[in-house]
Amino acid sequence: MFLSKIWFFVLALVAAAAAIVALVMPRPAQRTLVTEERHRLGVACGVIDILLADDARNRVELAGTFARAPEIVTALENASNADRLDEARSKQVRELGEKLIDDMKGSRKPDFAWLIDRRGRVVASAKSSSADAGDVVAGRPLVDDALAGYLRDDLWALNGTMYLVAAAPVVKRDPPVAYAGVVLLGHKVTNELAQKLVQTFHDDKHAERNIDLAFFLGNDDVAGSQTTALDHKALGDAVGKLSGNELAKDCQGDAFDLTAGNDAFTAVVGRLPGEAQSHQAFFSVYIKQPEARGFVGTLKAVDKQDLSFKYFPWLLVGGLFVLVLAGGIGLMWLEADRPLKRLAADAVKLAKNEQERLREEAHGGKFGSIARSVNIHIDKLGRDAKSARTNLDQLLGPAPEGSLGTIDLLAGGPIPTSPLPVSRPGGPAPAVTPPPSDFRFGDATPPPGPPPRPTHAARPPTPAPARPTPPPAAMPPAAMPPTTPPPLRLDDDILGAPTAKPVPIAASASQPNEGPVDPYFKQVYDQFLAVKKSCNEPTAGLTYQKFAEKLVRNRDDLIAKTGCREVRFTVYVKDGKAALKATPVKDA
Amino acid sequence: MVRALAVVLVLHAVAAHAGTLIGKLELPAPPERPPPATHGFLDRTENPLAPLKPYSVTAQLVVELDGDEKPAAPPQVIWRLVGDSFDRPVIAVPAGAEVVIRDDSKTARTLVAKEDGKLIPPGPINPNGTKPFRSGDSGKVYTIGDSDAPHLKGTLIVVNTLYVAYPDELGRFEIADVPPGSYKLRIWYGGKLLDRPDDDVTIATKGKTDFNPKVPAGMPVRPERK
Repeated sequence: MFLSKIWFFVLALVAAAAAIVALVMPRPAQRTLVTEERHRLGVACGVIDILLADDARNRVELAGTFARAPEIVTALENASNADRLDEARSKQVRELGEKLIDDMKGSRKPDFAWLIDRRGRVVASAKSSSADAGDVVAGRPLVDDALAGYLRDDLWALNGTMYLVAAAPVVKRDPPVAYAGVVLLGHKVTNELAQKLVQTFHDDKHAERNIDLAFFLGNDDVAGSQTTALDHKALGDAVGKLSGNELAKDCQGDAFDLTAGNDAFTAVVGRLPGEAQSHQAFFSVYIKQPEARGFVGTLKAVDKQDLSFKYFPWLLVGGLFVLVLAGGIGLMWLEADRPLKRLAADAVKLAKNEQERLREEAHGGKFGSIARSVNIHIDKLGRDAKSARTNLDQLLGPAPEGSLGTIDLLAGGPIPTSPLPVSRPGGPAPAVTPPPSDFRFGDATPPPGPPPRPTHAARPPTPAPARPTPPPAAMPPAAMPPTTPPPLRLDDDILGAPTAKPVPIAASASQPNEGPVDPYFKQVYDQFLAVKKSCNEPTAGLTYQKFAEKLVRNRDDLIAKTGCREVRFTVYVKDGKAALKATPVKDA
Repeated sequence: MVRALAVVLVLHAVAAHAGTLIGKLELPAPPERPPPATHGFLDRTENPLAPLKPYSVTAQLVVELDGDEKPAAPPQVIWRLVGDSFDRPVIAVPAGAEVVIRDDSKTARTLVAKEDGKLIPPGPINPNGTKPFRSGDSGKVYTIGDSDAPHLKGTLIVVNTLYVAYPDELGRFEIADVPPGSYKLRIWYGGKLLDRPDDDVTIATKGKTDFNPKVPAGMPVRPERK
């Protein structure tokens, strides 16, 4: 599982890194976007400046064309020579001017035209009542320059409205050449003009990125490409920071943020030239701030094109995915699935009793640990079963044949061992301690072990050893050395008939001797003798003394080995013969 | 045609013992036209049909004849406002004289003296209306204007004499009814004294005294006293 853990750690690390990148990447992109938008605004501002200058050039040219009209020259020459301008003359010149405007081609027709004589007096105002006949407009820089022979433009603020004005001198070309007056054309700054100026920055597909334009006179809105109530204070503050006489550099100023209702915009401002500058005339180019996209916003902004094979490395991503998946699955199979399958198969064999223990050496890592734990538990269960059988015998007395609760004292073979495996990691399992009741009446010598304790009636219980010491296993008769006399079997001495049912008899802790007869041993002897007789077995030679000595020796031996308090002997019939079983009793 | 531009501000009975100063300023070559007060989106360009009019300096000139006798009762001076300018861009008035600005245009104006906000009573001058005020001490120069019409500007010079004249386009001037005596002749240009020596002029008891002062080239002005 180590490699799997490393794999998942690496995967988690990559996922965390990817998450960080996904969350962080939109911010630099946002900054870049804002920077680009601000740059765009500066460029747009400069372009609008250029477009306004280009428009001024067209308007001046238009005024020059207007001023060269012969009827205008004649009318203004005549008016200049008059000391007083009467209504009739004014009307005649006004009609003349309006006719010329109507005859103009193109869409950039002026909103008004002032026809001014060489004295600076307005002879007529065509198309509007922005001036009255007789008004002296000399003194205005534009008019003074035109009276001096210059063509030029200006920006005026009249009655809260902004006008782009252009003037051209009217020259009487017939000798003597002389100035006859001035033609002044005014074009109102309108929403349509603003829209026309920014139409090159509009993209219907990305309307949110459209740049807009607005004209202002101080705190008053004049016109704009959109009806947006921009924050005048922010605009005024920005205009207040502008200085110097080079208005064209205003567009290079820092963009700033401003609001209009709930919408946030980025804007730049540029001062407007001309007389209107004294009215704090300026324009603002602004754009709606791109929304802070963040991770989710960036995802939302993804379109089909971004996910096309042309722009997205699907093959690379797919390959990486398959690679990572295969790596994960492979490591899982290698470190989890395969060992688990092997352990499961081993467990099935164990369940089918095809093997006694799990093969610890066949399983590595945690699975090997599981196998070891299972084996340890199997060992423990074996020991517990043996102990339980012993206890059961003590509680219930000798069990019927085949029962686990008693031990056959007459069994010729080795004491049945537990089904515990005989091998364990590191070497063979310790030999199972033979039950303490494994003795035979034929044994001339006591079995190895501690010497028999002196028998006493109330022997204190001896604590059972934590791990039974392996006494020499009971050898089957065939395995006994030939010099060793065969164990004295009870059958050799007792020829009694077997009884149908075992008779439990509790042994007393008295020592048999030549003198007084132990009532318990005597009782057992009598029962055994009776059973032998009932089984038609010979009883000659089966004296009480010999019988009692055997019982005492085996009782002491059992007490020494098991620490039991006393030993109970049970007489029963086995295979048609009398048999005797000894059962250690731990509790009273 | 010669048009008398000299304006005698005080008309009192000195005809019996008064002379007239006439003259013609020796004007230098016209200076370069000053840069435009305002710019459009484009620089101004000359028209291709006729030469530019030379820049006229005479509208900015005032001839002052300063004698020992000081005006006891300076007369009222009327300064007309015509459209987008004053009828004279520069006027000189005796110290303590009452100046009346009359609006002959069709636009109301609110005039303020740049150097002294209290010189002109507050409030607009309606079309055909007037706004009188006292000129103040001699030597003062006021720039009168309307903040709503920055192109509208007039210069008011307060002098210590009744005898001033405004040359015509050719530089000719005339000051009538001048008591005989010695005077200093000074020339103002755009509200500032030209940097030239004062001329000593002696007015005869009767008849006309002809004097042609010279205007220095480049129209240099005296540095302002601090």
